[in-house]
Formats: sequence, C-alpha cells, structure tokens
Amino acid sequence: MSRVVVTGMGVIAPVGQTTHQFFDALVSATSGISPVGPHIVPGAHPFVAGQIAFDSSVYWPPHKAAQLDRATQFALVAAQQAIADASLELDEEASLRAGVYWGTGLGGATTIEESYRSLFATEAGRIRPTSVVMGMNNGAAAHVSIANGLRGPLLNVSTACSSSAAGIGEAFRAIQAGYADVIVAGGSEALITFGNLRAWDAMGALAHADPIDGRRSCKPFALDRTGLVLGEGAGALVLERSDRATRRGARIYAELVGYGNASDAVGISKPDANGQVRAIRAALADAQLAPDAIGYISAHGTATKVGDAVETAAIKEVFGSHAATVCVSSTKAVHGHLMGATGAVELIACLMALGAGIVPPTAHLDRPDPALDLDFVPNEARRIGLRAVMSNSFGFGGMNAVLIARHFDA
Amino acid sequence: MVTLLAIKEVAAKHFGGEPESIDENAPVTELGIDSLGFLEFLFELEDRFGLSIPQDSVAGVKTLGELATVIDGLLAVAHPPAS
Repeated sequence: MSRVVVTGMGVIAPVGQTTHQFFDALVSATSGISPVGPHIVPGAHPFVAGQIAFDSSVYWPPHKAAQLDRATQFALVAAQQAIADASLELDEEASLRAGVYWGTGLGGATTIEESYRSLFATEAGRIRPTSVVMGMNNGAAAHVSIANGLRGPLLNVSTACSSSAAGIGEAFRAIQAGYADVIVAGGSEALITFGNLRAWDAMGALAHADPIDGRRSCKPFALDRTGLVLGEGAGALVLERSDRATRRGARIYAELVGYGNASDAVGISKPDANGQVRAIRAALADAQLAPDAIGYISAHGTATKVGDAVETAAIKEVFGSHAATVCVSSTKAVHGHLMGATGAVELIACLMALGAGIVPPTAHLDRPDPALDLDFVPNEARRIGLRAVMSNSFGFGGMNAVLIARHFDA
Repeated sequence: MVTLLAIKEVAAKHFGGEPESIDENAPVTELGIDSLGFLEFLFELEDRFGLSIPQDSVAGVKTLGELATVIDGLLAVAHPPAS
C-alpha cells in the first residue's frame, strides 16, 4: 500500500485566516468567539458564535461572490491556500489522478435559509433559481474541483461533526489503495444563521454566553461548561502519495498513518463511549502504534456536559495507564465547533503541534471538573516532543472518526 | 431604451463589467451567461421591473436587445398607458 503524506494546509477560522494566524491564536489561547450581530439575529438575544470577519471582495468581484454560498467561499479559500502551500502543479494526466474528498454537515446553509425565508416570509414569495446549486450539500466539493481542475475521484461526506475527519480518512485510504495520487481533503461549514442558532438552542446544546466575557463562553472539560458554541470556517489538506511528494521535493508536514471509523449504533444525539473506543482502537491498529506513541490528542471536546464526560471515559479505556500522561486539549474553546469543518481544522492544529512541538491548550479551563481527570493542558500551551498525534471527531448520529499522524521518515 | 439601460445595469452587476460596454446585439452566451446564470439574471430583472417574466416569453431570446423588447411588451400589458 502507498504511504500518504500531507504536503499542504489551508485554513480559515474564527481565530485566523492563515495556518500561522490560526495556530498562533490557539497557542496563545486567543478566543475568536463573539456576540452574534443584529444582521443575523435581530433584537436582544443570548447568542455567541465563532464568526469569521470575512471580506469576500478580497477573493471575488461581488457578482461572482453572489453565486457562492458562504461555506463554499470558505472552502475555496482554504483549498487555494493548501494547494499553493503544497506548490502543487498538475498537468492534464496528473489532474485525472487528483481528487477532492470533502466534508460538510449542512452544506449551503445560508443559501437554504435565505431562499426559504424569501419564499415563505416575504409577500412576493419568490425563490432564487440558484438556490439548488448554491444550497446543495456537495456544492463546496464541486467548486473546489472545478476551481482547481481536480478531475480524479470526488466524494462528499456528511456525517455531522465528523464529516471532514471521515472525508480525510477516506481520502487517505483512497491514496493508500491506489485510486488517486493526490487528494485535496477537508471540510467547510457556515451555519451561523438565525434558524440554526434557534434550532441548536431549542435542543439545549448551546453554551450560555459567559456573563462577564462572551469570548470565554466555550469551556471544554471545565466544571462550569454549559454547552457548545457554533463556529464557521474551513480547513483543507493536500494529501499525497509519499513517493510522489519526495520525488518532486515537496515539503512534508507529516505522514497520515491511521484512520478509524466506527458507529455507536446507540442514540441519535447522545454519544457513547463504546463507539468512540472502537474508532480510536481502529485508528491505532491502522497506524500500527501502541497508545503510548501518541503524545497529543486533539479532543472532540465540545464542552457539553455529556460529550466531554463520555470522551474522557473513552480515552481512559483505550489509553489505560498512559491516559494520565497524554496531553489532551480542545481548541474549540477558542474557535467554537466548526461542525463539518471541525475535523479538518483540528487535524491541521494537530499537525502544526507535531511540527512545532507545542501543544495548544484547552482555554477557559479555570475550574477543572473533578470527574474528568486527564491532562487537559489548561490555559497554557506546552512545549513537548511529539512522535505522533491523534484527532478525535464524534458526530451526532454516533458517527466517530479518528485520525493519527506522525513525523515522516522516508 | 430606458428598459435596455436598466437591463445593462443589472447585467453588469450580475456578470461584471460596465453597463456601457455591454453590446445589446451580442448573443448572451458571449457575455459569459450560461442557462442557470440567465435564469438568475431574469430573477433580478423581475425584481427590478416588478414583473413576472414567464420562461416561455424569453425562450427565443438571444440578445439583451431582444430581451428588452420582450420586457417592454410585458410592461405594456402590466401597466397599460392611460387612454
């Protein structure tokens, strides 16, 4: 089987619009959570979210941007960064072996909401003819393919919060098995809309806005955690067959070595440790690594009461005595939960941690929960030599995807 | 003429460029407008003119000049001049 390396990365997130801005913010625990503005939710309301101050005119003239859902815009920006970062140049033949594997939860959520609002809630009752192609779940994947001439296999994965992790894992397998030489893999999400905020709030999943400092509303693994904070953005990675990458002299960030995918098959919203344990074990087996090889786990860590407790139990079960020493952090504290994009964005955080030898902290962790007894790297980044890193992504529906990467040795 | 100028303004906003540089006699495909883009363009024109533009009425339209003629006809029916 071919080995698979990462040769390019791109990110647009509430804490940064380049990989370096992003990682610097994670390391310094600088929050990108802010109150949701009146243009999204009118009147007095409690909502905070990880929002991107995004100026589409930097990338497209207004008439072009108007044809791209916000999530697709994020996808294109992240993919372009990753491709440029990889110095990827594909001739006609190579483009046939270069694919796109993309993850998203809701796809063109902004388009769908605006279209139906126009149809149902305006006197004219009209709907834009581009509603279908801008709103469809695979819109971002299609645009990444079109914009970059990637004509190999294309897969759009939608498994809620594990979408992009599963997409990256499937891309890894596709290259291993010889179906492609290069895959731009990642995910995008832009669902901070009035309807989505209200829907998430209605199910009781959202964090209460911190009354003193809204930027500190997301508190993974803390005793005073109250729920998740929605975020938006995109992450993209160029995955490449290792011999192709070394032959062309590409810079290699890391080797992707393990992917585990397992379903809880228990509940639609309540997570289950058993499914998570099986996904983590599958990833370790795939990587042929023992638990003690993993120095850092980027936790799913959404900051819900149940979610953080179940993930802690799963890590303890798999890691045994090593659970006490492995660094575990959730960067969602500062960027929020990017849903379908979160697996890609957090894998990038992992790879940058691996490269720099710096573990980003779990921010806003001033009051530890005594029932959650792992090393959550509270508030302060830690310098540590890392051999291998793991990224957990667990989605509604009990859909668990786990990725492992390590330094590449030719 | 007023109709054509308004169409060119919407076309420029929708497809880029300047209204005065758009040739009303050029096939719309030369303006970089595909079939879905044309539907979206008609949607905006409906807003602009306060009209419903049935797709049948523009089925044979090849240029923006021809489109202006169709819209003028629809406007005359929708808002007949006072006799």
